[in-house]
Amino acid sequence: MQHLLNWILWTPALGIIGTLLIPGKAHNTIRIWSLLVTAITFAMTILLYCQFDQAAPGMQEYFNIKFPWIEQFHIYYSLGVDGISLPMVLLTGLLFFLCILSSWTIEKSVKSYFALFLMLEASVFGVFLALDFFLFYVFWEVMLIPMFFLIGIWGGENREYAAVKFFLYTFAGSVLMLVGLIALYFQSGANSESFNILALQGGKFGDEVVTLFGTDWNFGILVFIGMFIAFAIKVPIFPFHTWLPHAHVQAPTAVSVILAGVLLKMGTYGFLRIAFPILPEAAVYFRDWIAWLGLINVIYGALCAMAQSDMKKLIAYSSVSHMGFVMLGLAAMTTQGTNGAVLQMFNHGTSTSMMFLMVGVLYERSHHRWIVRPDGTKGFGGLYTKLPIYSIVFIISMFASMGLPGLSGFISEALIFLGIYKEFTTITVLALIGLLVGAAYLLWMFKRMFFGEVIPSVAGYHDMNAREILYMAPLCITVILLGVYPAPILNIMKESVGSLVQLLAKFQ
Amino acid sequence: MEYSISTILPIMLLPFFAFVLNAFIVKKFTKTAVAISCVAIFIPFIMAMRIFIDFVFNKYSSDYYIHKTFTWFDLSAGAQIFKVQMGIYLDNMSAVMLLMVTGVAFLIHLFSTYYMHDDPRYGRFFVYLSLFTSAMLGLVLSDNLFSVFIFWELMGFCSYSLIGFYYEKEGAGNASLKAFMTTRVGDVFFLLGIVALWTTIGSVSYVEIYKAIAESSLSSPVILFGLGIPLATFAGFCIFMGTIGKSAQFPLQVWLPDAMFGPTPCSALIHAATMVAAGVYLSLRMYPLMDAGGLLEFIAYIGGITALGAATIALVQTDIKAVLAYSTISQLGYMVLGIGVGAYSASLMHLITHAVFKACLFLSAGSVIHALHDHHTHAPVQEMPRMGGLRKKLPYTFIAMLFCTLAISGIPLFSAFVSKDRILGDALVMAAHSPIYIVPAILGFCGAFLTPFYMFRMIFLTFYGEPRDQELYKHAHDEHFSYNRNLPLLILAVFTLGFWYSGSLTGQGIVKVFPESKYEWFQVLVEKPVLNKFLGRTATPLEVSESKEFIEHSHYDPNHGIASEEEAHHVHLIHRFGAAASFLIALCGILLAYSMYITRKFSPEWWTTTFAQWTKALKNRYYFDHLYIDILIQKLLHPFNNLLAWIDMGFYDRYAVDGWERVLALSYSVARWFDNIVIDSVLVDGSGISVRFFNIVLRTIQNGKIQFYFLVLLFVLASYVLAFKPVI
Repeated sequence: MQHLLNWILWTPALGIIGTLLIPGKAHNTIRIWSLLVTAITFAMTILLYCQFDQAAPGMQEYFNIKFPWIEQFHIYYSLGVDGISLPMVLLTGLLFFLCILSSWTIEKSVKSYFALFLMLEASVFGVFLALDFFLFYVFWEVMLIPMFFLIGIWGGENREYAAVKFFLYTFAGSVLMLVGLIALYFQSGANSESFNILALQGGKFGDEVVTLFGTDWNFGILVFIGMFIAFAIKVPIFPFHTWLPHAHVQAPTAVSVILAGVLLKMGTYGFLRIAFPILPEAAVYFRDWIAWLGLINVIYGALCAMAQSDMKKLIAYSSVSHMGFVMLGLAAMTTQGTNGAVLQMFNHGTSTSMMFLMVGVLYERSHHRWIVRPDGTKGFGGLYTKLPIYSIVFIISMFASMGLPGLSGFISEALIFLGIYKEFTTITVLALIGLLVGAAYLLWMFKRMFFGEVIPSVAGYHDMNAREILYMAPLCITVILLGVYPAPILNIMKESVGSLVQLLAKFQ
Repeated sequence: MEYSISTILPIMLLPFFAFVLNAFIVKKFTKTAVAISCVAIFIPFIMAMRIFIDFVFNKYSSDYYIHKTFTWFDLSAGAQIFKVQMGIYLDNMSAVMLLMVTGVAFLIHLFSTYYMHDDPRYGRFFVYLSLFTSAMLGLVLSDNLFSVFIFWELMGFCSYSLIGFYYEKEGAGNASLKAFMTTRVGDVFFLLGIVALWTTIGSVSYVEIYKAIAESSLSSPVILFGLGIPLATFAGFCIFMGTIGKSAQFPLQVWLPDAMFGPTPCSALIHAATMVAAGVYLSLRMYPLMDAGGLLEFIAYIGGITALGAATIALVQTDIKAVLAYSTISQLGYMVLGIGVGAYSASLMHLITHAVFKACLFLSAGSVIHALHDHHTHAPVQEMPRMGGLRKKLPYTFIAMLFCTLAISGIPLFSAFVSKDRILGDALVMAAHSPIYIVPAILGFCGAFLTPFYMFRMIFLTFYGEPRDQELYKHAHDEHFSYNRNLPLLILAVFTLGFWYSGSLTGQGIVKVFPESKYEWFQVLVEKPVLNKFLGRTATPLEVSESKEFIEHSHYDPNHGIASEEEAHHVHLIHRFGAAASFLIALCGILLAYSMYITRKFSPEWWTTTFAQWTKALKNRYYFDHLYIDILIQKLLHPFNNLLAWIDMGFYDRYAVDGWERVLALSYSVARWFDNIVIDSVLVDGSGISVRFFNIVLRTIQNGKIQFYFLVLLFVLASYVLAFKPVI
């Protein structure tokens, strides 16, 4: 099982070939095939979890894979897994598997949809597993292609605009990352370790100076700014967040789920894997800024969410708010804060996915997402009476999202607050406003849609079917289990997070 | 009796398992689910009874406690240590609370089998009840603030679900949203308080907090917006804000009356007897912190304002449940006042006595509501103006309600006389010592006058006089004794008698039936935590068998820590005066209600017309809902949010982000112009043109005609000769 990471990464890629070989008319065969591929991949991520050594910090030697790819430039095909990437890998495996189930109703060019979906999965795994900076960058960029088409072809009315916006915005950020990675390559001597993420780590660029436009700049700070923008766009951090509502509103359900559940985490993962450990001095230098930006995310996202009357937009803004908590946890640079941040990445992945899936379930019945229509009438009403099972699942998703104790989101938020309080007391106090408003907009939406008498347009809806229950059940179980007992995820991450925190502590 | 995890934790786990199981089976096997729920609360009741007897009567003294912990999760890596410990903390106070919660909850479960029986969601109600009971018991057993918070929020969720139980009604949605959000304001502060304590002390277990206070290590300032606030004050305030939210204190009292949208038994359990009392329980647990933070005066004022304010609003309510809701707020105000004036055990005792009589009152109200059924609207009737004369039709309910009303009014021999009047007595003592407490004491006594008035108004309007709605009265079902309708009421009514709680039947110090130290069990066994004894102690891990520590000597001091005999006498005098005064005041209140609603000597209408403005303010609940919902949320928050969202999408995204497209378009056109005109037309095409030009020139010259060449040669020679005039 030494090549497990290879298998995880390349199974979806092999699946693409299989998809392409199946005749385009055989829709169900394509679906079942994709489901099978993602199921196997998910099973392998679970296997990875089982074989993972919880006591070891850093990359697990046993799983490492490394061989030369482009030797002239010292680029390696190098994969590895540690406690920070493993939760993300698990999340990716789980969500893609469930998203295939939720995409069952896609009827428009089924073959290309599933092929692109599998391509997306492979590239996401690539980002989370890559240990070579260049490889990381390649996967980071490859991921844009399927996303672009998935939004641009299967999206809503305004899909081209959203797809182009998503692509260009993220691409603009990646360019800065590319500059950073080349700068790091040459600054570290352009040798065989120069694209190695692990070898670059540890604060080796603190005192380097670079001359640009005739002025001397601190190399680390300059590169950090570039990478910060690249990752911040992905997270997204205010003021780089506006592509997210567009992309979410236009994307089909499953793509929204992946976007919110996995892709946003690539941004924060970038901080944890690259920006913070490679440039710890700059990270410490900018931590106040990161914390304040995180705070703005939390409050601004929540307040904007409150004003939305489109369900998907509301949840998109809630993602902005919740990712702000992750940034707060990262800025804390303490054990509790960073663990909380990584846990929040996982928990937000599950809870927001639930919310988007629930919206998707409803959308298939209603073909609109108005909580309140633009003319002021109710979009939905009395769903509680009409769709009892749906309502219960929705309640679980909603309360998981707002961080009710007993469900997963609470522990990560509490850990983040514990981590950040000592460092930024004022920010902690202000961030609690976000917690308050965070409950308000969700409950407000719930009240409008579920209470009251059944309005005529809702009367014809049928409750969740077996397939829909099947893909919601694992997520429900996950949020409840991790809410009651978070140790299974915390145990795998704590050693790796601990060593990152220790590294950062050296530079404070 | 050796206590271990297996004897304590099932108290909380049984209802929880019932919840999990019932959530799945309730649809198909409703009756089984209900039975499971009831059994799953009855067994904990028995266990709580055993703990209670062990703790309170058998052997343990006031400062015995059991504290066992286990690690929930552990984030320690390398040198950084961070563990989250959960555990059980059991002392006399929790033992009393456990017995109260399980007992009241069981009786309410029993009553619900009657009340909710015909409801289409009969089983589902019990699912929520089980979860709620489990959360409440978990809260009582908790050894630390973090798990208190967890159960606290879970109860908030149950409350939300139960208020919104009749989800077909639009109003239920509004009420449940309001309840959750209002309490959430307090909860958020509570969480902040926990975080502040945790990061400073390194733990939030009661024992560690008491220890830290005893070591006075909580004086380090919290720097907030550039201001330094002592940690104890900051954390104490934040935690007390949790109490304000959960126990519906001023200014977050607005949610509780709306919470009456839920089914009546849940009003009894959650919004009167137990959950709302959790706030008071928390403040009692954190009493040393509030004390250390210098917050007691503030707490006393909040309690006093709430006690009187809610009592005045109750005067004008016509809905029977609304009267009870406001009386709940008012009584919670007394408990908080009790904390503020240092009446620690009296405050807890009032919590217990109130839980019993308020549960009984709500169940009785449920019994009344169920008996009355409007045949036009098919809705149960809650409006008191349509009732009257019901005591003949509902004799058992009447007796139970009368007992409770006497109890809440503070009539001797009944429970609140013992508990509430001790709080008022202590308020007087404090007022005598420090003028700052005079206002809370006066507020408390004014409330004590209004309480019997509005309660007896309710009794008189409901049970006495002639039926005001004859048709309704005619259709009202006669009450026949049934085990699940009347038995819970009567059992609770029996426990409204004062002697259960105190040996001195008529209150502090007047008639002592038994020697104080033996039969004043409540005061003897529940007293303020003596901090110094926590200095050297640490928690026992659950795995290790408990080391027995009995402290035979009780710290109970009937003289309230006052050294000199003279002063003690003084205090007793004030207490006696207070008891007598509040009894007289209560009698006045009852007489006034009697003369207004029975003999009709004073017409209530006269009051409402004379004080029209005042009545209007009371009917509008002092405009708090208006202030919060219409002004703060509708007029301020929503427009602000809309503006923000518009700026985000309509302005920032449209111009600042998509504006880059324009900038790029402009730069493209500049580039295109440069490319087309300068590079292409001038340089590229220009070079082509120049070639063509020379081409034409050269083609013209090199035309291959020998005559032309000679002509040119001749021309050149001629010009050469002409120009240079060579010397020949």
